[in-house]
Amino acid sequence: MELNDTLLLRYSRHILLPDVGVDGQARISGASVLIIGAGGLGCPVALYLGASGVGQLWLADGDTVDLTNLQRQIGHATAAIGENKADSLARSVRAINPEIEVQPIREALSGRALHEVVTAVDLVVDASDNFATRHAVNRACVQLGKPLVSGAAIGFSGQLAVFDTRRAYTPCYHCLFPDQTGEPETRCAEAGVFSPLVGVIGAMQAMEALKYLAQVGELLIGRLLLWDGLQAEARVMKVPHDPACPVCGQAARQAG
Amino acid sequence: MPRQQFPADLFGAIRLNVMPTVQMTQHLYRFFPQLENRTITVSAGSVSEVLRAVNEIAPGFADYVLDEHGALRRHVMLSIDDTVVIDRKTLSDRVPDGGTVYIFPALSGG
Ligand SMILES: [Zn+2]
Repeated sequence: MELNDTLLLRYSRHILLPDVGVDGQARISGASVLIIGAGGLGCPVALYLGASGVGQLWLADGDTVDLTNLQRQIGHATAAIGENKADSLARSVRAINPEIEVQPIREALSGRALHEVVTAVDLVVDASDNFATRHAVNRACVQLGKPLVSGAAIGFSGQLAVFDTRRAYTPCYHCLFPDQTGEPETRCAEAGVFSPLVGVIGAMQAMEALKYLAQVGELLIGRLLLWDGLQAEARVMKVPHDPACPVCGQAARQAG
Repeated sequence: MPRQQFPADLFGAIRLNVMPTVQMTQHLYRFFPQLENRTITVSAGSVSEVLRAVNEIAPGFADYVLDEHGALRRHVMLSIDDTVVIDRKTLSDRVPDGGTVYIFPALSGG
């Protein structure tokens, strides 16, 4: 994508970075990204990707803004209570950067609609709040060969990983976290969440997404980062590919 | 006169004789306070044997992390020396002397 003088100035602090430069910023500006979830993680992800000039942002969320969200979901204003979260976050992103295209999707994407949007984008960020959505998004990304930046956070703890099964012998989300059907999961509404935790994990998701788009650095592929905010400790695990994985394993690849 | 040097392999030799350590996220201590504020050491062996050994210190621990078939419950994650264990069913991966097992939950919140 061609950057005019205004855009060169707006993104100059990126362009000054030798690793990014004009070429890296042009790749960011020419990219499209789908963000699943416009909550605690989705807000910082969208605000950073939008401010950074990702050309086209799709924001998907079917929920409405609630008073209890405002303690940490920094893309929603008090006046947005009752409004769809994708709409509210899209407005905040546009206020920061009117130079990009922001497309709100007022539903939790699934099935055919999910497939269509994943097909259209360069990268998917999973900022959702449940395992069922996470597995559906992973299946679509594996089938369509799209990179997935996955983050999760609750209490004082967060997890972050990047999946791109086009790279041989690297895991997908399902290799790491097998299907959670029937297992009870802990939700923010029950367990609570420390406000800046979602900022920490969401900012790291934005970091990985922009690194992929600009083609810089080493991505968190085949690795899982665990962040314990209470102890201020990070841990990085290696994650092997599961050859028997029903989503990305040999059998699934042949059947697909 | 130069001082006596430690043999180069001394620390390696010590490490070989150290039992594996089991660590876990804070939230597990709420259910098993007897595991908190101590170093949990067990004999080297399979993941399954290591979890049974923790159960000796904290009865009920195995039931908490394993299902009725002896497989890891689906929200329970386990690593050996910072590599995530993929075999969640037979739990036959070996935990070596000096190794570290880490138990943590899969998170889904956003
Ligand atoms: Zn897989």
